[in-house]
Amino acid sequence: MSKKKSGIWFFFASVRLAIVLLLLIAFIAMIGTLFPQREAAVELVGRIPPGLFSFLQKMQIFDLYHSVWFVLLMGLLAVNLLICSLDRFPAAWRRFRLRPVPREPDAFKDLPEENLFYPESDAKKAADEAASLLKKKYHSFQQADEAGSVYLCAQKGRFAHFGVYMVHLSVLVLICGAVIGSVFGIEGSVKMLEGETASGINLRNGNLTMPLPFSVRCDKFTLERYKNGAAKLFQSDLTFIKNDRVIRSARLLVNHPVDFEGFRFYQASYGPVPGKKATLVLLREGGRRDIMNVSTGYTFELPGNEGTFQVLRVEDNMMQMGQAIKVAVRSEKEAATFWVFREIDRIKKVVPDVFEQVPVFNPGLFRPYTFSLLGIEEKYYTGLQVNRDPGAPVVAAAAVLLICGLMIVLFSYARWIWIRIDQVEGRVRISIAGRSIRNNVGLKREVRHLLAKLKDNLENPK
Amino acid sequence: MIDTTILSWVTFIYFGAFVFYLFRMILGREFWGKLAGWLALAGLIAQSVALIIRWKASYDLGIGHAPLTNFYESLIFFAWTVVFLYLLIERRLKNRSIGVFVMPVAFLIMAYASIAPGISNRIEPLIPALQSNWLTSHVLTCFMGYAAFTVTFALGIMFFVRKAAAHDSSGVRVFIHLLPSESQIDDLIYSCAALGFIFLTLGIVTGSVWAHYAWGSYWSWDPKETWSLITWLTYAVMLHVRMMRGWRGVRMAIMAIIGFACVLFTYLGVNLLPSLHSYL
Ligand code: HEM
Repeated sequence: MSKKKSGIWFFFASVRLAIVLLLLIAFIAMIGTLFPQREAAVELVGRIPPGLFSFLQKMQIFDLYHSVWFVLLMGLLAVNLLICSLDRFPAAWRRFRLRPVPREPDAFKDLPEENLFYPESDAKKAADEAASLLKKKYHSFQQADEAGSVYLCAQKGRFAHFGVYMVHLSVLVLICGAVIGSVFGIEGSVKMLEGETASGINLRNGNLTMPLPFSVRCDKFTLERYKNGAAKLFQSDLTFIKNDRVIRSARLLVNHPVDFEGFRFYQASYGPVPGKKATLVLLREGGRRDIMNVSTGYTFELPGNEGTFQVLRVEDNMMQMGQAIKVAVRSEKEAATFWVFREIDRIKKVVPDVFEQVPVFNPGLFRPYTFSLLGIEEKYYTGLQVNRDPGAPVVAAAAVLLICGLMIVLFSYARWIWIRIDQVEGRVRISIAGRSIRNNVGLKREVRHLLAKLKDNLENPK
Repeated sequence: MIDTTILSWVTFIYFGAFVFYLFRMILGREFWGKLAGWLALAGLIAQSVALIIRWKASYDLGIGHAPLTNFYESLIFFAWTVVFLYLLIERRLKNRSIGVFVMPVAFLIMAYASIAPGISNRIEPLIPALQSNWLTSHVLTCFMGYAAFTVTFALGIMFFVRKAAAHDSSGVRVFIHLLPSESQIDDLIYSCAALGFIFLTLGIVTGSVWAHYAWGSYWSWDPKETWSLITWLTYAVMLHVRMMRGWRGVRMAIMAIIGFACVLFTYLGVNLLPSLHSYL
């Protein structure tokens, strides 16, 4: 390169800087795992002195991965990578272009004894065998004859010179993809009940909402559980609507996102909503039987003005005894508050005299009525994550490049091989030499292998 | 459960293999080394059978999934990959001396899986987030990486043992002459770290793809992700200091140990921190 390189250039081309940067990034990343990040940071309020808290907040410790520190380090790393690659690439290109020549006396200088052998056959045959071996192993070779000696050479793995550049380029592309994602990407979420329609999402950053260019309706939410109570499956049946027209219906499951108009919907969570509905049976002694759906706060006149009935609580699991509701019944003469358990028969089996011991567990406390609970229907909201990330394809490309580059760097290497066949003191001598950029162990093994193969071919002709 | 019974036998087999490798070192007779090698292989086969039984059993329970989904299963698989990788290296190098350093690690992992409190060895159904084909490839590649780093660590320890023994002229000569030379160990440390680096990269990439499908974000800085990045950066530094600053020998052995500490923290330590990955 003819360009004059300044001190800044050298600073950014140095691997020492790269090492320092990589270590600093690792260090900052580690700090980020020790302090709660983002929303989680509120848990520290009140647990540490307010002054310290606001200091840490100013230092952006609670959002380290988006902090100035981190962005700065990433920027420096990108510059470092870029300059370093630009600085070194021309040399790699020259190495790539360089072809070995057969007559290369330097290659055979100080060759160890183990790289030589003396075949029984004549020089012509040895040269032919060597040529066919190189052809087989390296596809092509070059040959030069000189003063009774034969020189051959071949090469392999030239593209390995570029592996490192692919790896480094992929890191640059990765950083680009992340930047694109954070500048143009959208991360939002929305919670919906069955039947509800949403036309906007809550953005993750700040408490803003963003309108969507369409609306989405949750037609059905399904939750299945394993026997042990853990969730087995949850899914939402969605309908996408634009300009009052249904465009598409789709079923959304965990691990199976749905794309619509550049947004990607994920089944992220679910949760119970207050206002559970209990199905209650009302039995009047020797009389009518009513079934009704009630929820907390529900009030109602008993038939024949015999009293007022009110639901105080609806519980999924009252004192480990299953579903129950707490009701209050009031008439002019008396007032009673008691629990109605769904599995009252099972409870009675375990504690036969439960009504004597705990009168408020008796569903017949208010005569002449008896209540029984058929079930509680829990209502759930479905939590959707709604994202748009134009950087994701860039990051995916970077990942592919990274893996390909690493494979090339670590599983292939550039090497040149020379074979010389000459005569020393009346005997034919074969010498094999090799040169590689960065894998001398592998090269040694390869040369040893070539030597053995050649010996074998000469001693046991087919 | 037959599979857990087999696995507890495997624990003892690995211990036996370690003891025989040790005999080889002390007595200097290759016979013990061969015996140890065969024993380790037998253990690996038995362990594979147990894993397959477990896999099949999960299908019989109607919750079929690869046996890679809870802490117990991941520890067992970790030990499996360590022994598998070690036996590959042993075959390739035709040198059995690394076994003394690797087998105890495999044995300890197996033992930890069966005796540590609070580790359930039951086959459990998968929560929805784990029901993904990426799970298998993610866990597979991560643990191949961890295994390679574990062998790297064992080599680092071996390096120090060799160095200490070389200075000590008392009578452990046999010991030293069975170990590879310092420069051979150094080359091995590099190769294993590089192999682990590739697998860790694959593990991080498959994990990101999976997270992209499951949570809508390929990277969310949860502690396990972050620590895997820290580990990745540490090994990247290790490759650079060797390539460009010419670090060899003791320094690389120290890097191997530091890197392994990061691996351990990524695998176990982050469970002390709240995380999306809390199930593994
Ligand atoms: C996360 C970031 C990086 C990754 C994953 C990475 C990865 C790699 C890998 C895998 C190698 C090959 C090592 C080997 O052959 O053993 C390498 C070599 C190298 N890296 Fe990086 N690197 C990164 C950042 C950097 C930076 C910022 C620089 C800037 C100076 C740099 C400079 C080099 C150089 C000069 C080489 C040697 C290239 C050669 O063999 O000609 N690397 N890097």
